[in-house]
Amino acid sequence: MIHLQNIEKVYRTDTVETQALSSINLNVAKGEFLSIMGPSGCGKSTLLNIMGLLDEPTRGSIRIADSTADKLSDKQLAHFRNRTIGFIFQSYHLINDLRVLDNVELPLLYRKSTAKERKQLALEALEKVGLSNRTKHFPTQLSGGQKQRVAIARAIVGQPEIILADEPTGNLDSAMGSDVMDILIRLNKDEGTTIVMVTHDENMARKTHRLVRLFDGSQVQ
Amino acid sequence: MLKHLFTLIWNKKKQHALLILEMIVSFLVLFAVFTLIVYYYTNYRRPMGFRYDNVLSVSYSSQPGSGSNRDSIYNVFQTLRRSVKSMPEVIEMSYVSSNSPFSMNTSNNGVSYKGVSEMTNYYTTDDHFPEVMEVKMVEGRWFNANDALGKEQPLVINDVLKEKFFPNESAVGKTLEFGDGMHRITGVVQTLKDKGDYAPLKPGTYKRVRDSSFMGRVLVSYNPAADAGFESRLFITFSGVLKNYTIEIERLAEKRVIMNNTTLVPMIALLVVGGFLIVNVALGIFGVLWYNVSRRRAEIGLRRAMGATGGGIAGQIVSETLVLSTFALIIGIFFAAQFPLLNLFDMPSGVYIAAILLSVLFIYVLVIICAFYPGRQAAQIYPAVALHED
Ligand SMILES: Nc1ncnc2c1ncn2[C@@H]1O[C@H](COP(=O)(O)OP(=O)(O)O)[C@@H](O)[C@H]1O
Ligand SMILES: [Mg+2]
Repeated sequence: MIHLQNIEKVYRTDTVETQALSSINLNVAKGEFLSIMGPSGCGKSTLLNIMGLLDEPTRGSIRIADSTADKLSDKQLAHFRNRTIGFIFQSYHLINDLRVLDNVELPLLYRKSTAKERKQLALEALEKVGLSNRTKHFPTQLSGGQKQRVAIARAIVGQPEIILADEPTGNLDSAMGSDVMDILIRLNKDEGTTIVMVTHDENMARKTHRLVRLFDGSQVQ
Repeated sequence: MLKHLFTLIWNKKKQHALLILEMIVSFLVLFAVFTLIVYYYTNYRRPMGFRYDNVLSVSYSSQPGSGSNRDSIYNVFQTLRRSVKSMPEVIEMSYVSSNSPFSMNTSNNGVSYKGVSEMTNYYTTDDHFPEVMEVKMVEGRWFNANDALGKEQPLVINDVLKEKFFPNESAVGKTLEFGDGMHRITGVVQTLKDKGDYAPLKPGTYKRVRDSSFMGRVLVSYNPAADAGFESRLFITFSGVLKNYTIEIERLAEKRVIMNNTTLVPMIALLVVGGFLIVNVALGIFGVLWYNVSRRRAEIGLRRAMGATGGGIAGQIVSETLVLSTFALIIGIFFAAQFPLLNLFDMPSGVYIAAILLSVLFIYVLVIICAFYPGRQAAQIYPAVALHED
């Protein structure tokens, strides 16, 4: 599903050069639930962003869902992110000025769809994360766990093949964290969604199929 | 997408209240400016209805203590007419009331036809007025000495008044109740725009004065080939006949410029003030959008991650601003629409409607210009970087 070959990422600013990733080779199979661990600043988010085509590697090649990712136009990249990938972030990234339902509909706005279809799909997604009774709330009226469930609903509403989750439980207490984890596991099991999750939590990582450890931009396991 | 933007802006209406208020105020200022521009422009487009080149306006007033009887006055002004006419440069002269073209004076009188009355500009002139002014008769003819023999006094009306009283019929021969009695219409003159190029056309009536009565003012048309000394020779002619009078000669063409300036100068001042205001508002909108884009980097990054293209983001910023200005315009138009609805200021409603349309267009164009650059900046926000910060 995801094939990374010799991925290297260097951040250059005027004064410093940071080697965020060096020679990463990673294959994720279709339907796999992979977790990535590693100390802060080791390049986990960078790796996930590259997998999601939010960022370009300095060197190396990526193949995702049978298409080669380099040399895609802005429009093709947008289409790809919209159709193939669902993102979940540690800090949720909900739009505070939009109600829960409108937040969940967001990815559908960037593809051909009617208002009715959007609402229908968003309600189904919210149902899956157990938030059918919060559709009219604003994000600021929700707990952290609820916010992350909204973010999951938003990630799955477009039925992507791959979900990339960057520390989805990082801001949550253990009870809320395991709720979120359960939803992801169910998604992987029931719908066969490929999931790559960055986490700090060994317990969470243990629940996934495979664990990859990063240290200082390199794969150690 | 549009519905989404409406929802987004609606939910943020409190944050945007000040910007919306600013847009409403600028819309109303633009509306006022455009109303005047449209009004003056439509007036300007209309024909003047008379000639002002090579016409002199000579006013004279007797000094105190020089009163004389009516007959001798009559004789004096007969003599004056003969002397002026005998000058080779002079084509024609006409005695007119003090509300002559491009003067600041106005004189109003009510006139009624079949019980309907109308306020009109009331002019008094003699039989030579049309020749001096080269007015155009729409119907009938100017009055002359023969008309004075009839039971009713003659009257010429202008076509604005004709449209009010006789929209679908001829006015000639109709009698109007006017001032001191019934008057018979001998002709309809094309309305003279005698308060300058930007003045509206108003109903008017021309009443005949007996030749050479005391009027206080004379209009003299002269040959364009007249030399520089003509005006002083004319002055000598006048002062030769009108002893003990103060005499002033003015060129009608110059009076027109002065008259026009009474409209143009305040208008230009208003344009300058309005221009400053609009520049301020534009900078304000630009600043707020710029700030918004930098504040919403995470949201923009998120939208990119969800499948928005760079162009889509730029379009969103511009569209949002258009939606915002639409809110402001709806409120602004509600206020502006009261002017034609309540018929304030007695202007044709077409002027207000044109002004509203122009102001709406102006605001939209302004907003697109102001939103363009912030939108382009937003399009260049790199999704990974934007999501990383917070
Ligand atoms: N936009 C950027 N510019 C410069 N350096 C960056 C940027 N993003 C990340 N880095 C650096 O790259 C390294 C990896 O960052 P990141 O992938 O966010 O780590 P993690 O998610 O594992 O904590 C860090 O040293 C970080 O400072
Ligand atoms: Mg990280």
